[in-house]
Amino acid sequence: MRDEFFQKITASVVDGEPEITVDLTKRAIEAGLEPMAIIDQGLIPGMDIVGKKFDSGEYFLPNLIFSAKAMQASMDILEPELHARNQERKMAGKVVIGTVQGDIHEIGKSLVATMLAANSFQVYDLGVDVKPEVFIQKVRETGSNLVGLSALLTTTMPVQKDVILALQEAGLRDKVKVMVGGAPVTRSWADEIGADGFAEDAIGAVVVAKSLCKE
Amino acid sequence: MINFGGMPTYKIELEPVGRRTEIEAGLTLLEAAQTAGVELVATCGGQGICEGCRVRVENGKLTPLTLEEEALFSCDDLSKGYRLACQAKPLSDCKIEIPPESLTTPQRLQLEGHEQEVELDPVVKSIELQIPAPTLHDLRSDVVRLKEKLLEQGMAATNIAYPVSKNLSETLRSLNWHTRISLHTNEPGNGKSTIVAALPPPDKAGSTMLGLAVDVGTTKLATYLVNLDTGETLARAGAMNPQIGYGEDVISRIMVANDRVDGRQILQTRLVETLNDLVIELCNIAGMQRDQIVDAVVVGNTAMHHLFAGFPVRQLGAAPYVASVSEPVNIRSHDLGLNIAPGAFVHLPPNIAGYVGADHVSMLLASETVVSKGIVIALDIGTNTEVSVVREGRILSCSCASGPAFEGAHITFGMRAAPGAIERVQIVDGKVLYHTIGGQPAVGICGSGILDAVAVLLEAGVIDTKGNMDSTHPLVRTRDGKREVILTPAEKTGHGRDVVVTRHDVNEIQLAKGAIRAGIEVLVAEAGGITNSSQLDGLIVAGAFGTYLDLGSAMRVGMFPHLPMERFRQVGNAAGSGARQMLLSAERRDMAAQIAKKVEYIELTTHSRFTEFFIKSILF
Repeated sequence: MRDEFFQKITASVVDGEPEITVDLTKRAIEAGLEPMAIIDQGLIPGMDIVGKKFDSGEYFLPNLIFSAKAMQASMDILEPELHARNQERKMAGKVVIGTVQGDIHEIGKSLVATMLAANSFQVYDLGVDVKPEVFIQKVRETGSNLVGLSALLTTTMPVQKDVILALQEAGLRDKVKVMVGGAPVTRSWADEIGADGFAEDAIGAVVVAKSLCKE
Repeated sequence: MINFGGMPTYKIELEPVGRRTEIEAGLTLLEAAQTAGVELVATCGGQGICEGCRVRVENGKLTPLTLEEEALFSCDDLSKGYRLACQAKPLSDCKIEIPPESLTTPQRLQLEGHEQEVELDPVVKSIELQIPAPTLHDLRSDVVRLKEKLLEQGMAATNIAYPVSKNLSETLRSLNWHTRISLHTNEPGNGKSTIVAALPPPDKAGSTMLGLAVDVGTTKLATYLVNLDTGETLARAGAMNPQIGYGEDVISRIMVANDRVDGRQILQTRLVETLNDLVIELCNIAGMQRDQIVDAVVVGNTAMHHLFAGFPVRQLGAAPYVASVSEPVNIRSHDLGLNIAPGAFVHLPPNIAGYVGADHVSMLLASETVVSKGIVIALDIGTNTEVSVVREGRILSCSCASGPAFEGAHITFGMRAAPGAIERVQIVDGKVLYHTIGGQPAVGICGSGILDAVAVLLEAGVIDTKGNMDSTHPLVRTRDGKREVILTPAEKTGHGRDVVVTRHDVNEIQLAKGAIRAGIEVLVAEAGGITNSSQLDGLIVAGAFGTYLDLGSAMRVGMFPHLPMERFRQVGNAAGSGARQMLLSAERRDMAAQIAKKVEYIELTTHSRFTEFFIKSILF
């Protein structure tokens, strides 16, 4: 029965069916399954498959959005359960993420935030049109080791550089890794402004974030 | 550059037709164009002697100039980056601009818009005068003489345009003091009248008063020459917006203006130069003179409006994306370098917001959206799709970032609506049927074609609600792990490669139609009165793509809500029609100003329900 639950939860995440994932999660808890096991053996394998399907060109943005929604909806149920059991997920890292000042594009950044959260990162999402000093403040406050900067316009990309400079001035640059992304952002731009990581999409962002946290 | 182990290959982008191709090293740009199905004039057969295939290099490295090219091109041409496509071979990925004269078949440009009868009452009035010639007993200056005669006729002219006064003495004498004065009566704000031209009297050659209407699109320019005496449209001419060479979308052009000291100037100059060519073309068609054009109305999105007028655009490139100028303005043609009557004003109707411009105001005016009964949506689909809803006298507007997919960008075989583009797709008995523009062998797919393709693939169960392609369906094949559907097999295409729709293309359409539908849903929710967009009383679709798209397909993919067919109205280039109306009627010009004042602008990206609607709308 355990394995059947896990397989079904995995499949519902892969199919991107949040309602089914929620229903299965509730029933799994009622059946006495451990929340941690539901995450590790149900949800995360599902997101892994989604990532692979995305990389192979079978899955696209709509799939990611709905799979992430399914995972998120399940986590909303499981987190209080973990808390009630005095359990904590082992976190891969702490990330401060936001769309830079002058830019109000939300969806891509939020998807990256959700994918990071789905992959065991503690995520502090500052939203859109975020001033450099707000990033600095949040890094200080949370002791995060990773900063994610999104820019969707060629006109706002330079602000990513401003944030990196602000981190330097604040003496935080060697304490955090910085990753940048957004439709017009390229690897050479990331290199030019001295970012530590760059990814083209939300799945790539998880891979980069994981490798930056291992360094 | 991609190396498959053999010859390196280079990616070649062909603008403004919007085709991309990949060729092996050693092949010429002409061959690149041919593989992409783009026909260049090559009268000499590629020997480098006819100049027919001249192209301009935007970026990328090419082989050095050949002797033939050195002989043909002037230093000026060479410094601008002109090459002969038959001679130049890429040494890197390249972006090439093909001037219209080098294309064998013109692209389809949409110039028609539905004509709306307006009462003829142009802002520029005509007064025929027989002015008494000076004598030794009447030593008044020529200007005073003219103004006093006008006053006799009950018309007070406060100003006379400098270019008119500069030539007045000669003009009046050459006309034997018999003239037709063009009096501009609507100087915004102060109600002053200005003499903008002195034309020959009626019945003489060159006496007809003309107006110029211009719709400056990010991609295309549409111009109209209007007879202000009769209201008739005498000539139409279109061209690609030459600013495309500096970036396909509005943001990349703003970048050019930001990054280069002379950026704004260059963009303005290129645009005005092309408009001047179009003015000559219009006058040739109508058999008229440029000096007879005594009034002009120019509409465009806010960025085009600003770049045309020379207003700053930096603030349009970053949140909160505000316009520099939103009120109606009149600028002297002379100050803009626009070659019409040198004293004439160019009227720019008001903008609504940074991404909803005067073109949308003009469209709302011409389509009569604002006087519609019930709850009506009006939209103009482009890279940015402007949407308005009208209910009980309220107008709410927003701009959706729908992207350039329907203009052919980011679609594997995407192209603009030009000959050889698949524009209609059907599946009958499991077989794909299609129609191309001009009936020519297929080379790509234009906006209406890709929309149809996705709709019929949905209908046939090839793709599901999330856009996944069923790999077991007979129409689907998998190549390198990627799924695609063949619309035209290689042996029937113009370039010998299969024309396909990929899962990636379907995704692009999902994002584009999702953005448009989310905009509609946000406005319907904000306007209130109905609980569901399927209860709308009307949906007005403007613009070229909006005219050619199949409404059934648009509903099938969920870009538009499901409505009875009779509630849709496809109005063509309503922005251009609105501009013409504003030439012919002072009242219409005032109405446009009132519409813009009335509009409540909704910023979608910060709207609390936008993400919810968008995510729902990317599903089929």
